[in-house]
Amino acid sequence: MSGTGGRASGSPAATGQPGPLVPGPGATPQQRAAALASEWAPVAGRILLALVLAWFGYHELVRPALWTGYVPVVAPTSTAAVVAVLAHGWVLLMLAVALAAGIATRIAALLAAAVLLEIIISLTVTAGLSDLTMRDVGVLGLAVCLTGLSHQRLALRR
Amino acid sequence: MRLGGEQVGRWGIALLAVTGIVGLLLAWHGWTGRAATVAPSLAGKAAPGGHASGTPGAAAPASSPASASSSPAASPAPTASGQPTAGPLLSSEPYASASFQVWPGSPSAAAKQALTGLTVTVHKQGTGLLVTAGVIGQAAGSPHLYAGGARVYVIEASLGDDSGNADYNLGDDGLVVTDTHGRIVQ
Repeated sequence: MSGTGGRASGSPAATGQPGPLVPGPGATPQQRAAALASEWAPVAGRILLALVLAWFGYHELVRPALWTGYVPVVAPTSTAAVVAVLAHGWVLLMLAVALAAGIATRIAALLAAAVLLEIIISLTVTAGLSDLTMRDVGVLGLAVCLTGLSHQRLALRR
Repeated sequence: MRLGGEQVGRWGIALLAVTGIVGLLLAWHGWTGRAATVAPSLAGKAAPGGHASGTPGAAAPASSPASASSSPAASPAPTASGQPTAGPLLSSEPYASASFQVWPGSPSAAAKQALTGLTVTVHKQGTGLLVTAGVIGQAAGSPHLYAGGARVYVIEASLGDDSGNADYNLGDDGLVVTDTHGRIVQ
């Protein structure tokens, strides 16, 4: 893992991307807190979204039969449903690791957003809007936010 | 290597490759164990896509009332399990921790949540129990007679898929009847 900070060479400033706020020596506590949040909040968001995806991905992979009820169109007891769940779980696991390690974060976040959108549409079509669906809308929002990351700490770049 | 405008190094590619392989191994594990469902499933009673209305799907495992043939008739004839056959102890089954007693007595709050999206009616008949299980919004299933049955449990591996009066995923739901000793009635 490598982190970038400040305005040193290789920093976002050097690559023409907007970087984090760097409070000066006379910065107020609020400014320091804002700088800290802008620096680390995206990392927290990345890792927390990765945890969600990893949890679901792992469980879909090891116990696919418990998840086939969510697969639209096909019967829950069919082989096609099991295969769909396994493929879905594999994708979630890959996205989770990419997000947690900061590998192609924006692409991973974009794919995660697409997967979450598919889940939300599927659940809404199947059973309408509910608390479960709205919770997924919130997770989709987090994924969408991460697609805009231009500077990040704790990212595997090598 | 650049991926969508982002630089991905050798270590990143290696980590993704290892993750992909681990994922495939886990998928193989899940595929080979797919037959070992958590409980006698009610998923077979659901229309494709979960709890949406439709015709009942394929039959569920034999120990479930879902195995009873569904019929649109108003008063379907009950199917019977014949001679009481004591199966394994429910407490020894892997899904024991996900079982919630719904009869006799008043179901607990967790049992009520586990019953979300399902309808289970129980009547005592002789020394057995006449149990009818179904999915809300669909045609009621046929009653099934469990000779020697004494307790009825609903299995719900994850309560997180229940919302309002809908169960989004019936794949982790099931129904089990035990005798007075806690053995599953086949």
